[in-house]
Amino acid sequence: MPQVKIIAKNFMDMVASLTAIKLDKLYNNVFICEAILRSLPPLAKKYVLQLLYTDVPVPATMLEEWVLADGVSKHRAAIDRMIQLRIFMETTDRKKGTSYSLNPTFQKNLQKHIISGGVLPREPMNSNNAIKLPSLQELETYALQQWECFLLQLINSGQGEKLTGISSSMMKIFQRGLLSQRDRDGPRLTESGFQFLLMDTNAQLWYIIREYISNAEERDVDPAELISFLLELSFHVTGEAYNLNTLTEVQRNTLKDLADLGLVKLQQGRKDSWFIPTKLATNLSVSLADSSIRKEGYVMMETNFRMYAYSTSKLQCEILRLFARIEYQLPNLIACAITKESLYNAFDNGITSDQIITFLQQNSHPRCADRVPSIPENVTDQIRLWESDLKRIEMTQAHFYDEFPSKDVFEAACDFAREWRGLLWEDSKRMRLVVKSEVHNKMREFLHTQSK
Amino acid sequence: MVNAIKGVFISCDIPMAQFIVNMNSSMPSSQKFIIHVLDGTHLFVQPHVEQMIRSTISEFRDQNSYEKPT
Repeated sequence: MPQVKIIAKNFMDMVASLTAIKLDKLYNNVFICEAILRSLPPLAKKYVLQLLYTDVPVPATMLEEWVLADGVSKHRAAIDRMIQLRIFMETTDRKKGTSYSLNPTFQKNLQKHIISGGVLPREPMNSNNAIKLPSLQELETYALQQWECFLLQLINSGQGEKLTGISSSMMKIFQRGLLSQRDRDGPRLTESGFQFLLMDTNAQLWYIIREYISNAEERDVDPAELISFLLELSFHVTGEAYNLNTLTEVQRNTLKDLADLGLVKLQQGRKDSWFIPTKLATNLSVSLADSSIRKEGYVMMETNFRMYAYSTSKLQCEILRLFARIEYQLPNLIACAITKESLYNAFDNGITSDQIITFLQQNSHPRCADRVPSIPENVTDQIRLWESDLKRIEMTQAHFYDEFPSKDVFEAACDFAREWRGLLWEDSKRMRLVVKSEVHNKMREFLHTQSK
Repeated sequence: MVNAIKGVFISCDIPMAQFIVNMNSSMPSSQKFIIHVLDGTHLFVQPHVEQMIRSTISEFRDQNSYEKPT
């Protein structure tokens, strides 16, 4: 099966891929500088802070002196990362060699930030202003609910139920990579769509935000502005209300879309309206590695291939339906079984056994998760065996060579094929060779030159 | 002069290889598709039989799966 992977790169990779001009504009925002500083590897952080108040370029050799012998690879990685983000500017001088200096905008803003402490452009509104702030728990339920609603609509748009307020053009954008239009049966999930569903929430969030930002240009919204607003949002305090009148028009429109996704909650009072960022929003600048949204696992896997999911969510039911047969649904429980047919279904749709197993492991119930391993070995082994049963034969277009005039020609041909990584099989006793078809033309020319 | 034949290279396990050889011998002479049996786990066959081999194997697999009679 072709391996198609959705790589949910984190924010910083996206920022790094912006053009130089946009990146410089981005660094004018103090919060972006802080967010980028947070995302750097530890060695890079040290370098930035050390060079923060140095105005002259520092020679590369001096930087290398700071590192012990076994840290050289980390040093190189840190420097490359910083050059990629245009924090470090490299200047080459014939006499002094390469030297590095901090990006001046970045440097100035970070200095300001350290001294002044970073004040958000808006203050949380006072709580004695007759605002009924939802508790953190309520906020989290709200966020999860919105997110699930959104995902359900994403995959079930064929059923035509309009649950959220996201415009249909926006939904089409999100669905572009995940659904395929089939005229007969209505839209169907593609391979990447299935993989998307099995990813964890943070990864899914990144993918959606990335799509949203890449589409910003089509809607006449400057992506740099969008990124800076999103990063600013991640510095707000979860659960505090912020007035809407402190935002620009563009930011307000963005906020409406974000509310549908569950990143903020919009509320209206008599005079003002305000927004409350949820945990999903404040986690935006955090890298994928340390995700603090760890939903409670809900799946218990038994050795008899039965699965019990303590959940009432429709979305989770749909996800389980992808690879298991749902037997029955109780008020707080979904009972399913993993069968050969249900797995074959999943494999047909492009899901791999590794994805299913990772999904099960990540979502296993806390009681199950304590066990080592969290999913019984016989289940994981069987899933892998069933997958490999579908892949028993490997077929490659190839050419078969024999009747070599001499051993030397044969050996030369073998080496040639190995160089071009086209050698599939060889038999030195009878001097026969099988080579991939892509390499055939080159092989033919090579053999012509050999026979001369 | 070196001889080159175009075809499809099949790499599988021994039982599967035997299955394909058997399939080949049960075919009428004009439709035999194996050009060379390279060794226990590799075969070289004619180019157009890929799909036919795959469908025969999945039929064989289905015959071997038990489905509870409803």
